[in-house]
Amino acid sequence: MMGSLSGRYAIVGVGTSRFGKLQGVSTMGFTLEAAKQAIEDAGLSRDQVDGVLVMMPAIMGEQHGWAARVAAYLGVEPTFSATMDLGGATACGSVQTAMAAIDAGYCHTVLCCFATQNWPQGVAMQLFGSEFQVPYGDVGAICLMAHIKRRQQYDYGYPDELYGQIAVTWRQHAQLNPEAQMRKPMSLDDYMRSRWVAEPLRLFDCCPNTDGGGACIVTSAERARDLAKPVVRILGAGQSHSSEIIHPRGAEQRSLGGTKAATMAFGMAGLTPSDLDVAQIYDAFTPRVVHDLVAYGICASEEVPEFVTRGNLTFAGRLPSNTAGGLLSEGHLSGFGHIREGVRQIRGECGDRQVADAQVCLVTGYGGAPHEAPPTVSYSALILAR
Amino acid sequence: MFAIEKPLPRANEDTAPYWAAAHKGELRLQRCDDCGHVRFPPSALCPRCLSQHHEWVKLSGRATVFSWIVVHQSQHPAFNGDTPYNVTIVELEEGPRMHTHIVDCPNDQIRIGMPVEVVFDRVNDEVTLPKFRPAKSK
Ligand SMILES: [Zn+2]
Repeated sequence: MMGSLSGRYAIVGVGTSRFGKLQGVSTMGFTLEAAKQAIEDAGLSRDQVDGVLVMMPAIMGEQHGWAARVAAYLGVEPTFSATMDLGGATACGSVQTAMAAIDAGYCHTVLCCFATQNWPQGVAMQLFGSEFQVPYGDVGAICLMAHIKRRQQYDYGYPDELYGQIAVTWRQHAQLNPEAQMRKPMSLDDYMRSRWVAEPLRLFDCCPNTDGGGACIVTSAERARDLAKPVVRILGAGQSHSSEIIHPRGAEQRSLGGTKAATMAFGMAGLTPSDLDVAQIYDAFTPRVVHDLVAYGICASEEVPEFVTRGNLTFAGRLPSNTAGGLLSEGHLSGFGHIREGVRQIRGECGDRQVADAQVCLVTGYGGAPHEAPPTVSYSALILAR
Repeated sequence: MFAIEKPLPRANEDTAPYWAAAHKGELRLQRCDDCGHVRFPPSALCPRCLSQHHEWVKLSGRATVFSWIVVHQSQHPAFNGDTPYNVTIVELEEGPRMHTHIVDCPNDQIRIGMPVEVVFDRVNDEVTLPKFRPAKSK
């Protein structure tokens, strides 16, 4: 069934708003900036957009109908709209939803978008109702990721240098990206000397807070051929949802998170990890990259240190990844930065950081509720190709 | 100036017996009447067999450390004065894993697999947080 959608839909436009530390700009303002850029990038008229999917902003309060409000501000009256909440998995997940909605005949051209304004996050933190983790000071994704890094290092003996190598590689990539938030050169020594945020997680294991927005536009591959830019088809898409560390059904029930999303996406595309030319891996924290390399079948757990330290994620390596610097160095655009970069790599628009003859790109997403019991997470993936 | 208070659990129908037991110095979780699964977090259904029938059984209080972290950069203003503090996930003898603090042990001596036992930290007249310390009994 799913195979029938493979290659029939395309991402035709990508965009981001200004991003960085930009206190004072509204979440809506960022969303609209990014949406306009994506519409213009596609060479579409605004009136051709008849589907709107928007990631639920972190600070929602009681604001229902967020996606419909975004549509109203854009002057669009969609026939399909939803506010989606897969955290950082929303970017890829909304593209997958858009394909299904178009295939079902609900709409023709879907705008997927998001924005974050981090300030004032402190207020939001007090709204969480977590009973079993927050009272112990286990707050936010940083704590969950620190536990995940702890277990990775315990189970597989990964040295800190592995995580450092990932951070350093992305920083090198960011130096080729004038828009990146973190461009200051970083050495492995700088990484190893960076302070603990939540031991064993160091400062340079973590992405910066980013205020900004991102967007992309999905339509049929057929319509895409009439538009200005080279067609970037969606060959595969998948998602899966599970808990991390605490599994209510019992610890032994666990399959490695994300493997179902990977199986779906590669199966739908009829490809294997060895067919990938480039990857954009969801990397709000370095342990995420280690996890996805295994979950998406790029290498086995015990091969990760050698795979990474041999430079396989650099432009000279087997799978150049996070070519714009990733969330860690380009900035936390909730995965929309990854979609933008993936699309541009396939189009061949990346200039100094273009991967030669990039034909197939994996984009992954990850997000959820880190400090609820159990911590639940969503995994999502897209395979993009010419 | 306002002092920002630490967020304390606000119990609901599913979780109130857990917190009431903790306040009396007992660690209790739901054990499914139909399949025997001991579950965490507390919930209306057994996640293994979907039974709604359960008993709040008293646990041994014995556990081992599954993961531990030391928070140096506070992620919530109420915890600013506590850094560096550990957040530890223990695996209970009965199976479930839960977040807690390890007490009576320097942070740098916490180890995965370390045997620990429950102690009860009375926060105020209504709330007691289960915490764990290195096991004294064998
Ligand atoms: Zn049961």
